[in-house]
Amino acid sequence: MSLRRILNVVGLLQVFMGLSMVLAGLVSLFYRDGDTVGIFLASVLTSAVGLVTYRRTRFKGDILPREGFAIVTLAWTAAAFFGALPFLFTGTIQGFIPAWFESMSGFSTTGATIFTDIEALPHGVLFWRSFTQWLGGMGIIVLAIAILPYLGVGGMQLFKAEVPGPTPERLRPRITQTAKLLWLVYLGLTALEALLLMLGGMDLFDASTHSLATMATGGFSPKNASIAHFESPYIHYVIILFMYLAGVNFALHFKAAAGRLDYFKDHEWRFYTGLLLGAAVLLMVLNLAGGSYPLSLAGVEHALRDGLFQSVSIGTTTGFVTADYELWVPGAIMVLFILFFTGGMAGSTGGGPKAVRILLLLQQTAKEMRKHLHPRAVLLIRVGRRVVKEDVLANVLGFVILYALLFIAGATALALLGVDFVTALGASAATVGNIGPGLGAVGPTDNYGWMSDSALVVMSFLMLVGRLEIYTVLLLFHPETWRKA
Amino acid sequence: MRVIIVGAGEVGFHLAERLSQENQDVVVVEADPERAERASELLDVMTVVGNGASIPVLEEAGIRGAKILLAVTSQDEVNLISCLAGSRLGADYTIARISNPDYYTSGSVLSRERLGIDLMINPEREAARETFQLLQSAAATDVANFAEGRVQLVGLVVREGAAVAGKSLGRLGVELKEYHYVLAAIVRGGETIIPDGSSRIEAGDHIYVLSPASEVLSIPPLAGYEPFDLKRVMIAGGSAEGLFLAQVLEEHHIECTILDRDRRRCLELAEALPKSLVLHGDATDLELLEMEGVSGIDGFVAATGNDETNLLSSLLAKSVGARKVVSLIEKFEYLSLVPRVGLDAAVSPRMSAVNAILRYVRRGRVTTVATLKGIDAEAIEFRVSEDSAIANRLIADLSFPRGAIIGTIIRGDVILIPRGPDLVLPGDEVIVFALPEAIPEVEKLFG
Repeated sequence: MSLRRILNVVGLLQVFMGLSMVLAGLVSLFYRDGDTVGIFLASVLTSAVGLVTYRRTRFKGDILPREGFAIVTLAWTAAAFFGALPFLFTGTIQGFIPAWFESMSGFSTTGATIFTDIEALPHGVLFWRSFTQWLGGMGIIVLAIAILPYLGVGGMQLFKAEVPGPTPERLRPRITQTAKLLWLVYLGLTALEALLLMLGGMDLFDASTHSLATMATGGFSPKNASIAHFESPYIHYVIILFMYLAGVNFALHFKAAAGRLDYFKDHEWRFYTGLLLGAAVLLMVLNLAGGSYPLSLAGVEHALRDGLFQSVSIGTTTGFVTADYELWVPGAIMVLFILFFTGGMAGSTGGGPKAVRILLLLQQTAKEMRKHLHPRAVLLIRVGRRVVKEDVLANVLGFVILYALLFIAGATALALLGVDFVTALGASAATVGNIGPGLGAVGPTDNYGWMSDSALVVMSFLMLVGRLEIYTVLLLFHPETWRKA
Repeated sequence: MRVIIVGAGEVGFHLAERLSQENQDVVVVEADPERAERASELLDVMTVVGNGASIPVLEEAGIRGAKILLAVTSQDEVNLISCLAGSRLGADYTIARISNPDYYTSGSVLSRERLGIDLMINPEREAARETFQLLQSAAATDVANFAEGRVQLVGLVVREGAAVAGKSLGRLGVELKEYHYVLAAIVRGGETIIPDGSSRIEAGDHIYVLSPASEVLSIPPLAGYEPFDLKRVMIAGGSAEGLFLAQVLEEHHIECTILDRDRRRCLELAEALPKSLVLHGDATDLELLEMEGVSGIDGFVAATGNDETNLLSSLLAKSVGARKVVSLIEKFEYLSLVPRVGLDAAVSPRMSAVNAILRYVRRGRVTTVATLKGIDAEAIEFRVSEDSAIANRLIADLSFPRGAIIGTIIRGDVILIPRGPDLVLPGDEVIVFALPEAIPEVEKLFG
């Protein structure tokens, strides 16, 4: 472990962070919302700190594998720290802790907000909120790898530490090329969504901020009522589609763009798609039976659309809403609560435990049952034709247990801080899973602004650990990580 | 005709033996001096010690004037290179023994056509295919294919109380007019009889019947067997043959259990066989076999790679009520044991490979030859040409030699069961069943 090397990479990433704020500054300038100076100040400060750190810690040689974890964790923490500056310098948020929470919620693509009246915010800040989500969606490290060839050698370590899923896929021999392709697909889909939203009548600002937040499975909306603000079914369906696409492994999108439609061959994809569709239909039926929607043709369409929207939004961990699901029948709320614990596919921008891990866990359970019937059987678990190795399974099992522990620990911490039982459970699940809206007092129509600073700190940590898939962050707390190599 | 055989292992040795008995000039190339020594001592062949993939060695073996090169070492790569070199050095036909499916998959850049190799043969796969055909019928002791599988020869033992027992062929011809079959041979008390109209079938006879493949399943009930539907198979032993068989079973959606005593092999099997149940255990562990439902199972195949274990395992399975038991047997001496100890059928991977290669070596007039276990007669498929003595003559007028019988005539898409008033036409493919002493005379008719 060399602090020098770690700070060097982190410093460089902050230069990028500072530069990306320029974009928000330009938006602010364009709309003349009066906050341009504040945002540019944040940009200059961030870049300067980054540059100084980078220049003063230059080193020769390569990053060690275990330093990768530290770099990624520290880079994300720093990104959230500096990402809070535009909120502070423009005066939109008063305290540092709430600003840091909002920024972490952005980068981790959670979408939990402390703002009560979002529409009152200036354009520059609104854009910055959505932009943090977009940067965090595909990953700031992956972006850095794509742009900076110098990270090439140690890059795979960083890549692994940041990209969600048990085993990241290489699309090209070089990690830099892989990262570039992923960002290219990401950029393309975002642009396409913005275009489709504008065709549905959104203005450029709304279309771009919503697209940035959708493709990142983030969930920040510049509207108080989230997507429910827009009454056009067309817009709802477009956003459903792109939330869904954002939850799919981007390697599959890339292959599709290259002309190979491998979606259906992928068993995780089948599971993920089946799960979301099944949940949507179940929600529709429960809601129609429970009388939440009228039994007419339009009512059925509305129930189906809302069912689809909410199941895809929660299932992919986006967190947009078109309906207050807390008013639904208890069965429907339970269906959604289960989706809090599935997440998108590995290699997507979605959070949560990921569909493949749930799939493997279910198969592992089935395997144990079968083992009782045939004690001498040699049983393998496979995803598609590929056999999953024992150590990957052990890793997945460990992950799911850690995930559950983290969820319980988070809920307990919030309860100890005085948050009520349902809200504590909902908030913990919504932040660990990077979803956004939870249950109770942080439900789809509420926000996190009323929470105490200590509760916000707890949840910021949960969001970070959830986004970096637990191991990356928790490894820093393992004593052996810090032994001299 | 000079034939060069590369590799004097089990397959190579037996090919050399058979071909030299048929008066071919055989040269054996073998890298191991001891094996080469054995071949030259026991067989009337010339041996060259050396690497069969080396051009100087092939030239020393006389590749330039050779008609056929058979590369049958246990190494695919050696066989491939040997054939590539051989065909460029002037051998008319090259045949390679290839076990790795990656090399013979059609359409691959290394496919047979692209490499210019005339035949690729996979002994393990041939054996698995033969085993599968045997499994499909409760009764069959032997199965051989003709005319690309459109005609099958099936051997089976007539049961006590069977519909055909105690009747003469003449009478059966009237009773079973609806059935399309030819009774090609009867083996009774170790003696092979090529039957005529007066021959009688007795219970306990081992009979060989030729029939269109589509109607083969109608034969066993006549010999006293209940209808049989293959649903569940257990394979004891994860040898290459066992694995291929399991893959064939998976393709046909037949439930398959396969076991092997080596844990690492089990993992390989489990990886290759997503639909089968793989067990870690011994082929002779009766407790395990019974726990996994061997009693009453439709098919049991012993494929451990060890003859003795296979025999024992098959006997155990049969004793607890497996319906059809097929044992893989390498040693020719053991094959005759199979009916005597009460086992249903045996497959010899080596013999399957030798048969498949011989079939090709004799091609020209002869398209297919099947040598059967425990019986003297051979089934031979001839092609009738314009100047064959048999062409354009009525079956009734033919003076067909004793000890030989015409099984079926294949004329384009039509499969004819020959009767007296049928004509033999040029272009017909005729399957003849003959005792060895009758073969020269038969060959004259088709010559």
